[in-house]
Amino acid sequence: MLIPHPLLGLRDAQEFTYLGDARLIERPDGMAEGAEAAFADYVYLRDNPAGVHRELWFHEQGDRSWLVVTRDTVTHEILGAELARDVALRGKGGAA
Amino acid sequence: MTDLTPITALGADKPAKQQFGPLRISENPAAALASLALRRGASRPMPMGLELPGPGKWAAGHGVAAFWTGPDQWMIEAENRAIEDFAADLTAHAAGCSITEQTDGWTVFEIVSESGDAPIRAMMEKLVNLDVAAFGPGSATRTGLHHMSVFLIRRSGDRLAIMTMRSTASELWHVLEETAKGLG
Repeated sequence: MLIPHPLLGLRDAQEFTYLGDARLIERPDGMAEGAEAAFADYVYLRDNPAGVHRELWFHEQGDRSWLVVTRDTVTHEILGAELARDVALRGKGGAA
Repeated sequence: MTDLTPITALGADKPAKQQFGPLRISENPAAALASLALRRGASRPMPMGLELPGPGKWAAGHGVAAFWTGPDQWMIEAENRAIEDFAADLTAHAAGCSITEQTDGWTVFEIVSESGDAPIRAMMEKLVNLDVAAFGPGSATRTGLHHMSVFLIRRSGDRLAIMTMRSTASELWHVLEETAKGLG
């Protein structure tokens, strides 16, 4: 399986380690109202779709960047990859 | 003062050097290394006048060389300056950047071919899962090699440098030796 690294091009998936659902980027605010329930969801609840899934991959034997990879879990087709840093900054409304 | 005897990464008193057919593989203990990372929002410096290369690239000039190691991060090499405090010198040339001494943390093996780029390409094809055709002169990247994490630098068509952490230097030398023998 090849992962299209946004900076380095196609790279062997063996260079990467897998973390899981990309929603882990959206960590709840621990000081906000209802933080306990929000953290219970954040830590324990995951979607497990048969189909298109956004996941976090770490380029461990490479440039050590985190990627958000969009993958079809049924066919293993990789539909896209972007730097998790850009995704996180976009989520916060900052410039990527 | 304690009388210490310096040894190389392979435990010898002289750097390793061996010829395998058209390939000469040698340990390069003389290169000073330091990593350079930008702080958030900082602009890219030109240490010693060298323009830092983009992703997957290596550039040399002004007595130093640099390769990209990650977003806003580079490794800077300085030939024959391993016995100096190169990181301190680099800090003076890259104000506001985070500089970390890396000399001797990494062991560099230089592979030189006497018959053009074909033997270098053959070595790479045996060693790493990279697109060799796309890895031309001026390319540099980190990848896995026999479960070790290594940097590859294509210094020119007939030259390739492979560097690994000092603690795995003898394993890498063994792999290079066996692979080069197998090509002959």
